[in-house]
Amino acid sequence: MFTTTLKSKFNNIIINLYQNNATHLKKFSTQNLYREKWEAIIGLEIHAQINSKKKLFSTSSTSFNEPVNTNVSVIDAAFPGTIPRLNPKCIDLTVATSLALSGNVQLVSSFDRKHYFYPDLPAGYQITQHYAPISLGGKVTVSPLDGLEYEKDIRIKQIQIEQDTGKSIHDVRPGMALIDLNRAGTGLMEIVTEPDMRTSKEAGLAVRKLQALFRAIGSSDGNMEEGSLRCDVNVSVHEPGTPFGTRCEIKNLNSVKFLMAAVDVEIERQIAELNKGGTVIQETRGYNVATNQTFRLRTKETYTDYRYMPESDLPPLILTKDYLTRIYNSLPELPDDRKRRLMSQYHISLNDVMSLMRENGGVEYFEEVAKDRNSRHVVNWITHELYGLLNIKNIKFDHNPVTTQQLGSIIDSIETDEITAKIGKKVLAQMISGEKRLTPDIIQEKGWKQLTNMDELETICKNIISKNSEQVYQYKQGNKNIYQWLVGQVMRETKSKASPKLVNDILTKYLD
Amino acid sequence: MSRTITEAANLLRQKKISTAALVKECLSRISKYDAKVNAFIEVQNEKELLDKVLEADDRFAKGSFIGSLDGIPIAYKDLFCTSTLPTTCGSLMLKNFKSPFNASVVNFLEEAGAIMIGKTNMDEFGMGVFGPVYNPHSILFDENHLENDNNKNIKKRRVAGGSSGGSAAAVAAGMCFAALGSDTGGSVRLPASYCGVVGFKPSYGRCSRWGLVAYANSLDTVGILTRTVNDAKLIYDVISKYDENDSTSMSPKIRSINSSLPSFLKSDSNTDDLRGLRVGVPKASEYYVSELNDPIIELWKKGIYYLRSQGASIVPVSCPSTRHALSAYYVLALSEASSNLARYDGVRYGYRSEKESNENDNLLYADTREGFGKEVKRRIMLGTYTLTAGSYENYFLQAQKIRRMIQSDFDRVFKRPNPLHFIKKDTLKIDDDGVDVLITPVAISTAPKIENCSETNVSVGNNSNDFVNAYVNDVLTVPASLAGIPSISVPYGVSPTDGYPIGLQLMTQYGDEDTLLEVAKVLEKGANQK
Repeated sequence: MFTTTLKSKFNNIIINLYQNNATHLKKFSTQNLYREKWEAIIGLEIHAQINSKKKLFSTSSTSFNEPVNTNVSVIDAAFPGTIPRLNPKCIDLTVATSLALSGNVQLVSSFDRKHYFYPDLPAGYQITQHYAPISLGGKVTVSPLDGLEYEKDIRIKQIQIEQDTGKSIHDVRPGMALIDLNRAGTGLMEIVTEPDMRTSKEAGLAVRKLQALFRAIGSSDGNMEEGSLRCDVNVSVHEPGTPFGTRCEIKNLNSVKFLMAAVDVEIERQIAELNKGGTVIQETRGYNVATNQTFRLRTKETYTDYRYMPESDLPPLILTKDYLTRIYNSLPELPDDRKRRLMSQYHISLNDVMSLMRENGGVEYFEEVAKDRNSRHVVNWITHELYGLLNIKNIKFDHNPVTTQQLGSIIDSIETDEITAKIGKKVLAQMISGEKRLTPDIIQEKGWKQLTNMDELETICKNIISKNSEQVYQYKQGNKNIYQWLVGQVMRETKSKASPKLVNDILTKYLD
Repeated sequence: MSRTITEAANLLRQKKISTAALVKECLSRISKYDAKVNAFIEVQNEKELLDKVLEADDRFAKGSFIGSLDGIPIAYKDLFCTSTLPTTCGSLMLKNFKSPFNASVVNFLEEAGAIMIGKTNMDEFGMGVFGPVYNPHSILFDENHLENDNNKNIKKRRVAGGSSGGSAAAVAAGMCFAALGSDTGGSVRLPASYCGVVGFKPSYGRCSRWGLVAYANSLDTVGILTRTVNDAKLIYDVISKYDENDSTSMSPKIRSINSSLPSFLKSDSNTDDLRGLRVGVPKASEYYVSELNDPIIELWKKGIYYLRSQGASIVPVSCPSTRHALSAYYVLALSEASSNLARYDGVRYGYRSEKESNENDNLLYADTREGFGKEVKRRIMLGTYTLTAGSYENYFLQAQKIRRMIQSDFDRVFKRPNPLHFIKKDTLKIDDDGVDVLITPVAISTAPKIENCSETNVSVGNNSNDFVNAYVNDVLTVPASLAGIPSISVPYGVSPTDGYPIGLQLMTQYGDEDTLLEVAKVLEKGANQK
């Protein structure tokens, strides 16, 4: 492992970022600002790791959680004599993302070097697109489909491609910084919005919206906890009708929840500062999850001059209109279109749609199971039972062991009265635990098949009625609650296998 | 004088000589002269050489040759990455640094059978015009005429030039048959002129830079140093391949467009008939004649007369932007250098200061970066300044504009269209009023004396502008570098006043190496006829 003796003044930040204890987040909503005289101005800078198998300028694999310094080529480690070589897959994915955001993809863009010294930046510069980014303009729309009360376009300023850095690991060895270059050279899309957001909710939903878009396109995992999506947010406050205030940038936010909380407390801090006659200084701030406060990282005076210059190792990136058309035509269904279609085609609620879309592959899974089945039943089984059991077992949806045929077979068996819903859940639990067969085989073997034999059920019901004459009397006196108790007795007798419908029919027949 | 590659290759094929003998010849010259010349940083160890030699001679005994350079000893400037010998770039920063890979051009030459004899000396990271190498002509001069007057000799010694001085001197002194150098603003052509060998800089992108440690990456080209133009072509034919590892490698498409363009080629290359060739001679005022020594001007004229005597028409041409070339070159080269050298932080490889790290994170690498020499530090400082916010617009962008103007000057002067523009216009325009080739001197003087190039004379002393005077030595070579066009320095005799070699420079349109080498062959003959 590479080491460097870097003083660990960033330790606090790192530790704070990984403390997930956010129990005492103060309730404060920027929604309420409108009642007061203040308005907040919020802009986002989003770095999304491009979901390519290889790095942006080398053929090393991109990796997450692999042994340190195992995916590092001479290019990633900036060895003398190496020259970067652009990975076309990264361009495809960024162009697709830009087109999905209605960006104007530039037929000619170019790469630049951004210089600063840091141990996890091997070349002493980051290759980025400063002077001519790959896409200009575009927008991301947040609307009631996303859970906002109104619809709003957030303009995108530009999208650029750049390299990720390595990771500095502090405090494993006192006084030393350890360097892991596995991440160095991974492709990033940087998306810069205009300062069009006014509340933390708009900002949070915009990030969620982008996450959904990345996942739909497959251009990024968009996972903030794992760092494949990183957000910096610019916040300032002003009184409407006056020029924008001085902004602060909050860096290193690692979940949407914290991003929203950080925006709220920063707005609060700036308003408090201005109310007591102070000023807001342009600076970069961090966010401490434990105390729910932002804190100063560096001020403008200590900003680095990045000495941007063209990267002459890479020729300009030239795209053709045919290429853009091809990428555009191969775009998958985008989140808003998908939401509208699912609601109208399957008659399910926006909430259900959002639950399905929250998981990677959820919609595809649903649509497969919903073929020729009652879509509302299917969505309930997925979002309640399946999600619930997976959650208990701590299995991610993309590792869901239950096939669409398996889940379908449960729903079919319930529909045909072979099993009760309750037994269905037991079958599902079996499947999640590794059972590979379909429902009929499982219930056959376990003897869970529903009792539908009329004679047998009549005998059981008659028995229950005769054994509980006191309760039957009360029922006939008008205590209708007794009815459910009697059903329960039948169910207990049959170990829940009795068809509820038939039991109902028989009991009604004999009691009334 | 030593044999050419062509001669040696023929003798090998006729079994009149062995590879062992060729390598021995080079090694004996190295051991005889290199203590005085200082051309090599490292010579390949004898065991490694012996293995290669035996392999080669085994092959030859069976009559099989793996390529045109099979068994030929070649040296590499010490900024070409080699996995068997260290690659130091002449810097403490990379002392003992061993690259995990070979430069592409090194691989190409090895595939053609060339044997690496060693790595040659250079100005640190290619930054310099005088170099740490002694001009071998001083040594030969000593040996032949002044054997008993050592004190006087040392005073008379001259530099081999920079930055590929080791490569030029090694070839001139017969320590190898050819050497690769790198040419950023004249680093191959200048020492070639000083040492009396051929120095060839192909078009930018023609030869792969993968494994050539960058000084200024938009200008760096692989360069070839040989004793004859024919030898240069032999090496060039082997290394001028497209390489996907170099993103700036001339694309196969441009290569094919280029070869479809007509260039001046004689039907029979064995004649010296230059009828139909148009040779451009830049206006005297534009090529710094005031700075040129008289012997240089005289030989330049002789070269022009000789080409005319072979049937070429001589055409005066104007390249008005040339006068800005030197300043533009130094702004761009130093900016890029400051960036390219940022990676030497001692974290992953190379020199690292023993001192405890600085308390201030902003000065994290300050001690380690003391490992750079004075000239390199100066260039990093200047380059860093030109990239700073504010300076960028005033220096870097202006220099880029000048670079474009210089390229347009050349495009206007040449008969042949520039294939880089050709793909945009889709029309082929031959300018009949244009010229095929330009001829100029390479250097403003013969090799300077060591005493005039010592650190105190060229660096910060009482007069802090002295180093700028040293930069003037590049004035005739940087225009071709800025335009990316091919250029060659051909030895054209010696100065009658001091007896030191002088080269003449030929330049052709981007991609037109064929014409360049053909005309260079003729000019070379002219030099020998005098």
